[in-house]
Formats: sequence, structure tokens, C-alpha cells
Amino acid sequence: MPAAAGIGLRSAHLAEVLRTRPHIAWFEVHSENYFAAGGTHIEQLARIRAHYPLSLHGVGLSLGSTDPLEKRHLDELRRAVTRFDPALVSEHLAWSSVGGRHANELLPLPYTEEALRHVGARIAAVQDALGRQILVENIASYVEFCGSRLSEWEFLAGVVAESACGVLLDVNNIYVSAHNLDFEPENYLAAIPPAAVRELHLAGHTMVPSQGRELLIDTHGAPVADTVWDLYERALARFGAIPTLIEWDTHIPPLTTLIAEAAKADARLAAAHADAA
Amino acid sequence: MPTLRELQIDFMAAILGDGAPNAAGCGPAAPRLAGELVAGEFGVARRLAIYADNAEQHFIQSLRKSFPVVHRLVGENYFTQCAREFRRLEPSTSGDLQHVGAAFPAYWQRRHGSDEYRYLADMARLEWLYQESLTAANHPPFDFAKLARVPAAGYDLLRFRLHPSVRLYASEFPALAIWRENLRGDQEPALIDLSSGGDRVLLARAAGSVALHPLTVAEFAFLQRIAAGAGFAACVAAAAEVACDFDASGVLEKCVRERVIVDLCERT
Repeated sequence: MPAAAGIGLRSAHLAEVLRTRPHIAWFEVHSENYFAAGGTHIEQLARIRAHYPLSLHGVGLSLGSTDPLEKRHLDELRRAVTRFDPALVSEHLAWSSVGGRHANELLPLPYTEEALRHVGARIAAVQDALGRQILVENIASYVEFCGSRLSEWEFLAGVVAESACGVLLDVNNIYVSAHNLDFEPENYLAAIPPAAVRELHLAGHTMVPSQGRELLIDTHGAPVADTVWDLYERALARFGAIPTLIEWDTHIPPLTTLIAEAAKADARLAAAHADAA
Repeated sequence: MPTLRELQIDFMAAILGDGAPNAAGCGPAAPRLAGELVAGEFGVARRLAIYADNAEQHFIQSLRKSFPVVHRLVGENYFTQCAREFRRLEPSTSGDLQHVGAAFPAYWQRRHGSDEYRYLADMARLEWLYQESLTAANHPPFDFAKLARVPAAGYDLLRFRLHPSVRLYASEFPALAIWRENLRGDQEPALIDLSSGGDRVLLARAAGSVALHPLTVAEFAFLQRIAAGAGFAACVAAAAEVACDFDASGVLEKCVRERVIVDLCERT
């Protein structure tokens, strides 16, 4: 995967990408959107894959759930990996189902030794099933558990040590969680082992007034905030030039807007490359 | 401290609204859960409501996307109300949200199956068949050399195979007209007389999308028997039973040409 900016590819842009072949380094798609047995979207993505590197990013595997890993979901992910041969495969450091019911939302874990052992073993099982390393992404958090004995960054670093997975570091999520849960984002960056970080995410968030203050919600429906660009530059300073994705999932803008956002990331990546040289 | 599993069960119950939802849309967080979360200045209920709201929106948005005609027919408010009730009755059981609509037609059947709005269940059924067709497996074109190898004496027992994207649909209502009128979001749909007769429809993927073709009673019977794995003679007999002038060779040729029929096998 090139150390350049990619964009999240949504179905609204598939045909345009095929028609115009935009100058963009790589694309990422939600794995579940390509679990179908066949059909137009599968064919379109296969044609796009012939021209661009691809990352498969899952949202539904429920890595942290205490239910058994869902064989059907894992089988469909394996089929997508075989079908599209992605450069990167990622999921979230979260859970979304228990007792057979799915929230289809990324839910937070308590950062305990019990959860660390559990999630580490689950990630290892997924990597065994796929026959490859996966990256695990930090989520945006709105609540924390009193019983957490580790910080989120200690937990993430622990999961890496436990399972030998890679890290997909979502810079916007660090910023949102730091605001909502009142911690220093710098502490987060400093705790993650640089060698594990293989992808960065950038996205827009929304401020929601709440009880005289503002909660930040990870909406993926706006340009990347200036404060997040600042944090991204600090992330590049620590981790070096890393493949970086522009995510935009709600109120999806024209493709040209996404490409312009990617160009902003590329400019910062070029500076990071220059610093490294 | 509760175990990880206990925390997850309580958390899920709170955000799926088990029991009576509170003003923030969350179920009553069990005392065990409330005591395990840091309230901070926003409070536990407000924090949980973000997850609850996101989860509900993802679910309802997936239904809106899969059932645009039902959504248009009943309007945003009633659709959302019904989608919420459906979610309470049948929460998602998959990490892939594209599955959540599978039981939605049956929900409309239960809700309106015996009143004047019972056509809604039929429309939901048509829309779900459309989704199934859209994502069904691909299949290579019909292999005519395979047909050429079949001796004439074996034709009656030939079993044809439909493309995996083919779905057959029947309704007592003019479903095709309702579907076409309400899929166009740019103009007011024309009024349709619900008593103007039922439809039989073939859904099949072609040229990048799913095409809906009206079928005669005989064509429907013919394709239905093929779908059931019957031999060619039995398929023709079923069609001839409802239309004695059924043009079997013409329909067969058209189905092969349009890739509705994609394979054959000889009965062993």
C-alpha cells in the first residue's frame, strides 16, 4: 500500500471512478458491502481493483464480543479477501453484538486484563482464519467504564503485543474521544508502537451542544477539522509517512471533494517524506 | 466488577431499548451498568443515547434503502414508526446490515395483512426479492453446445436452470404499476386502482440492474415449474393447462436469449 492518501469508496462513486479513473493512490471499502455472492457492485469493484490498491475495512465482525466468532461473517470476509486480494484488511477495537443480537454500531470495551486477553485471542483467531495480519482501529468513544484499569492507548498497545496485529490509527477518533473523555491526545500517540501503525484514518466530526458544553460525534459527514489536521501532522511526525484514508460516509459529497481532501493529506505526507529524507 | 459478558448484555439491553425506553431513547440501564459507567458532566443517559441513536439510525436507514417504494407509500413518519417497532420485534442478527430487511415483508403482513393496506406486504415482498436478485451469484451464459449434445429423445426430460438472480413474484394487486409509479421520486405518483387486477412478475439481473418483466399466467406457471426442477415436458404441460396456445419454444428461446435460463441438465 503506498504511503499516500486514499479515499473511502462508496457505491455512489463506483461508476464515476470506473469512468474517470481519478488520480488517487488507493481506495478503501467497507468489507460487508461486498459480501454479496455476485452482482454489479462486485463486478465494479473487481474492475477498480485491477487499477488501484485496495483496503477492506470491516464494521461488523464484532471482535470484542463475548459471543462466539460468527462463522458466516468470517467466511464471507474470507471470500472477499480472496476475491479482491486487498493490501490491507482491518476491523475495529470494539464489539457490536451479544446474545445473538447486533447493534450494528461500534461499542466500547472496558479496558481490563480480562478484555485484553479476550480480544487478543479473538484477533489471533481471525488472523489464523484469514491467513494474514489484520489491522485494528481505535473507535470514537462517548463513554468509559469505571472498571477500566488501562487507558485506551495502553489497551491498544497491549492488543498488538498479544495478537501481533497491526494498528489502523484513526486520528479523528483520537481527537473526538480525547474531547469527550477528557484526555490528552498526545499521550495516545506516544503510547502506540510506531512499527505497528500501518494506516491512518481522517474524517469529519460534528459538535453537538449538550448541557452547556459540546460533545463531539464521529459522523463522517464533514471535512476534516483543522484541529484534526494539526493532530495528524503530529501523528506523521511520530509514525512517519503512513497510508492515510479520507472517510466520508454521510451526506456524501462529489468525488472531487473527496479527492481535494485527499490532496491535503498528500501535501502533509510529502512533508513527512521530506523530513524522513 | 461484572464480567465482560455481563457488561455487554446490560449495555446491549440499554441501547436496544429493552423494557420501557427513557426520554433519551435508551432502555433503562440496569443498576449494575449505570454504576459501571463514568457519568462525567454529560451523564450516563446522554452518553448511552449517542450509541442508541446511531444504532437505530443505521438500522432504519438500511430499511429505507432496501424498501424505497414502501417508504414512499407510507411516508417518512409512519415508516420510521414501523421500522422502530420491527426492530424491537426482530433486532438485527447479523453484522451485515444488508440482511435486516429479510423479515420486513412478514412484518407488514402481520401489521396490515387483513386490512385495506394489505398491498403493503406485497410491495415489501417485491422490494426484498429485488434486493436478493441484485446481489445473487453470477452465472456464465447458456452453453448451446451442451444442448446440441442432448438426443432429441431426451428433450422432454431436460431440466433447465434459471439464472441465480431470477425471482418469480405474484400479487393480487397491480404491484408492477405501483412499484414503477412510486420509485420515481421526482413526481407525484399517479393514482392506481388496487382492484384493477394482479401481477405476475419476473425479476432478473440484466445490464447492471434488476429488470422487472410482467408475465402471463402461462409464462409464470412455466417458469415456476422450471424453478422447481421439473422436466421440460412437465413445465410445458403446466403452462398449457392455463393457456392451450402457449408458445413453449418461443418462450424458451426468449428466456435463453435474455439469460433468464442459463443452464440445463439431463434427468438421470
